[in-house]
Amino acid sequence: MSFEQISRIKQKKASSKKHFLSRQQNFWGWLLITPAVLGLSIWVFFPLVLSLLASFWHWDMLMPPSWNGFQNYAMMFQDQIFWQSVWVTIYFTVVGVPLQIVAGFGAALLLNTKVRAMGFFRTIYYLPSLLPIAVTSALWLWLYNKQFGLFNIILDKFGLPPGQWVFGTGSVIPSLILMSIWGIGNTIVIFLAGLQGIPQELMEAVAIDGGKAWHRFRHVVLPLTSPVIFYNIIIGIIGGLQTFTQPYLMTNGGPANASLFYVLHLYRQAFMYSNMGYACAMAWFLFIITAVIAGLVFKSSTLWVFYEGEGRK
Amino acid sequence: MKRWFMVALVVLLVVALVMPTMFAAGNVKLTFCFWGSPAEDKVVKAAFKGFEVAHPGITVEPMYIPGDISGSEYAAKLKALAQAGELPDLGYFRPEHFGAWATNDFFMDLTPLVKKDKLENTVLPQVWLKVKGKIRGSYTAAECEVLFYNKDVLQKAGVPLPPTDYRKGWSWDQFVQYCRKITIDNAGKHPGEPGFDSAKIVRYGVSYQLWSAMLLPAIWSNNGDFMSADGKQFLLDKPAAVEVFQKIGDLINKEHVFAYTNPSSTSGGGLPAPPVMLANGQLGFYVTGQWELLDLAQMKFPLGVGALPIFKKPAQLYVSGASVIFKATKHPKEAWELHKWMLTPDKTSDLYTSGLWMPTKASWYNNAADLKKWIDNPVHPAGFKEAVVDSMQVARINPETRIKNYPEIWGEAVTPEMELIWLGQKSAVEAMKAAKAKVMQLKLIQGVY
Amino acid sequence: MATQKEKWLSKPLIYIALIVGALFTVAPFIWLVRSSVMTIQEIFSMPPKWLPAVPQWHNYVDVFTTLPFGQFFINTTVIVILNVIGALLSNTIMAYAFARIPFRGRSIMYGLCLATLMLPATVTMIPLFIKWKYLGGLNTFAPLFVPAFFGNAFYIFMLHQFFKTIPIEFDEAAFVDGASYPQIIAKIIVPVAKPALAVVAIFSFLNSWNDFMGPLLYLNDQAKFTLSLGLKMFLSMFRAEWNTLMAAATLAVLPLVAIFFMAQRYFIEGLTMGGIKG
Repeated sequence: MSFEQISRIKQKKASSKKHFLSRQQNFWGWLLITPAVLGLSIWVFFPLVLSLLASFWHWDMLMPPSWNGFQNYAMMFQDQIFWQSVWVTIYFTVVGVPLQIVAGFGAALLLNTKVRAMGFFRTIYYLPSLLPIAVTSALWLWLYNKQFGLFNIILDKFGLPPGQWVFGTGSVIPSLILMSIWGIGNTIVIFLAGLQGIPQELMEAVAIDGGKAWHRFRHVVLPLTSPVIFYNIIIGIIGGLQTFTQPYLMTNGGPANASLFYVLHLYRQAFMYSNMGYACAMAWFLFIITAVIAGLVFKSSTLWVFYEGEGRK
Repeated sequence: MKRWFMVALVVLLVVALVMPTMFAAGNVKLTFCFWGSPAEDKVVKAAFKGFEVAHPGITVEPMYIPGDISGSEYAAKLKALAQAGELPDLGYFRPEHFGAWATNDFFMDLTPLVKKDKLENTVLPQVWLKVKGKIRGSYTAAECEVLFYNKDVLQKAGVPLPPTDYRKGWSWDQFVQYCRKITIDNAGKHPGEPGFDSAKIVRYGVSYQLWSAMLLPAIWSNNGDFMSADGKQFLLDKPAAVEVFQKIGDLINKEHVFAYTNPSSTSGGGLPAPPVMLANGQLGFYVTGQWELLDLAQMKFPLGVGALPIFKKPAQLYVSGASVIFKATKHPKEAWELHKWMLTPDKTSDLYTSGLWMPTKASWYNNAADLKKWIDNPVHPAGFKEAVVDSMQVARINPETRIKNYPEIWGEAVTPEMELIWLGQKSAVEAMKAAKAKVMQLKLIQGVY
Repeated sequence: MATQKEKWLSKPLIYIALIVGALFTVAPFIWLVRSSVMTIQEIFSMPPKWLPAVPQWHNYVDVFTTLPFGQFFINTTVIVILNVIGALLSNTIMAYAFARIPFRGRSIMYGLCLATLMLPATVTMIPLFIKWKYLGGLNTFAPLFVPAFFGNAFYIFMLHQFFKTIPIEFDEAAFVDGASYPQIIAKIIVPVAKPALAVVAIFSFLNSWNDFMGPLLYLNDQAKFTLSLGLKMFLSMFRAEWNTLMAAATLAVLPLVAIFFMAQRYFIEGLTMGGIKG
């Protein structure tokens, strides 16, 4: 779209104000989100309330539950293994998520350039995300294997000693982070879609003004993709805090609980040890922590996230 | 007019609902839940077909639940089904959850049926799973621990083949010495020789499966135990058990003869590294579950079986999935017939001849003609009878079905500490002390079911 | 176009960076595909073999003979298509309302909606299962696709972010021309947000294609199983059929590769489109 178009629209805007009757907006707003309201109440509300209640129960899902007060929470906070799982999860999230976002953004910028065979490159970068996670996990367990793994074979070629990878207490989390960076296809794709929203005219305008690439990146690309960056940060944090499948399939929390992620601990409590009440208490603690962190990021977003749709410049 | 239409509609609906059940009258449908590899899936379903032919009027609906080795997904699904009141009639059950479910009366009491059909002594004595004196289920099969080896590797290294009589296994020191002889680095040096490089080993002496139950035979052999019989005392921190942990840890970190490939807390999901290494001639001995015979036999290398090394006395483990009839079944009689059918090894003989399982039927162990049915084939190596079949006489059952909080004691307290021994980061004494402290702190000792 | 000429990052450099990244992502994948045509012995030989002596194409045949993979494929496709349709329909509408209609109670509803992302599914699994029993959905595909029609906070949030970058003037202009909200969504938002909708389509496709826990819990008949359950059968227990597993994985991934290759065109279209037409 062109600048004349925008200005023309802006002129019309004043006269159209009266069309935005708030009553009509309320009607349409609620009507359009009806499925979400229904969905929330059918699929989410009942399980949510039940799990909150259950966090105060002693419940093995065999016998009828019995009231347990704050016992589950008390036990949780006294349990070293619980704190170990908190530490592992924070470590992975704090180190892994920024890396995923930076790598994902970088790859998206590359994949947004106009070069030949771009469809091919994009598909290759997305390949890892296409594999079912069970296969990915099996594959990486193999790559990390001490005797048959590709990585140690490569290290050996360079005369380096074999690494322990996911089998060492110190190296397991970095190894899982490396694997997560391999699988950042989803982050890349979201960034790619976000980069499409940048009008060519703006890029050209800055370029004509003599803007260098960095300048363009800093003053056009970053602000205009900030909503998407924001999205990736929030989803990255939620995903990081709920990391489950890879450690579940690959390390089962080992060695020596070095990869015992929060939700893995929770899952074990629920389905291996039959402490559903305890698992629900853990779930609600995570829920509150996530909500607080997400809330803070949301608060901060007014400072750095730029929504063209809101007309702020 | 309208009313007539409504009435007709209702009548139609009722007919539509009732018709199928009318036709199905006298036809009993049983749902049987189970897990397993695609190959097992086929054999089990073939057994159902056979059952249907032998029992006209009964159809069996297979409910196959794919899942992980830790069994938590299988358990999760059954929990969900139980909560929704949709349990199948009978089927396999995860043994580590057996005690809790049995105590809560989810399984049919089989005691009178076993009595009536005089089955008590037709199977191995370990088979019936009792809780508070009542039979609430049975083991699905018989499985145990075996010492496998690659004959070529042993011969090349100048190591004698291990004895096959399970009562005459090598002493631990002898075993370690042979492992040292097999292990070489890429310069052809053995552990202990000057210049030996433990980072460049090309052939290992031994590998062990290191998950909970697989360690029990060694501990029992050393007169140690996991817990006391009443489940009131944790015994892994006692010298007999600690010694075994330390000796296996030493195989890895001190002797450098152990191919430590899969330290994760579970044995599944990962790479089948040890069997492949054994077949490739990169490994001499492999101590694991007898079910791996199924894969090993297909790998085309000179496979041998020998007696497990002995600490103080011969020991063996009886481990298997459980089979139960859910109490909520509407067809207890037919379910019992199917349960019995599945316990009869003739009906699922592929599971036994292929090396996956060993039968539960007693005569298949001591009657020569019956024995021939399952071990007289190229899958089962010479000596299998003396080393494995006969060792079931001393096999003790995996205490997972009896001891309360069994998965939690291992998963939360013991396994993480144990892994530190394997990684050489803690001595067995310290690790087991810490494990005991965790067990006490989490109040996991609650006796038996 | 002059502006497309990057002064600091010339084309050869871009290619080099792209290829290095591609090698990192594709290496494990090549490992997978070549393993799918090897014998077990070859896969684990030492020193490693990079290519099979004789390609074992029968591994692919084995996939179909050991399991009804064709049936699994059809089941998965049905579930996936319904999921994609549901996700595109419901989330577009709802994200539009949240992003661009300032109705009363919006922030609270939006907050509640996002909060659903924050509770781990582990604890809601069984309550949901019981719920589906009463809705009569056990052992049917319903629990696996019906929720898609009721929106998913993950996609609502994402589309919300994209919709917010579209100038509000577009809507206002359309209003002036007498368009209603549904018309605005269909005629203005959807064309502009094609890249974002492509992302939703891809994600919902993948999520249902690879979903394991859902089918595991809800499906009992093997005739209704999905591909991910089939793959899990190969991985279960102690069997060492890694070559068959890898063949099965390759087969499960191929359609996805084709679909993604087609879908990624939308990211270029968005680029050249620049704005709205018509």
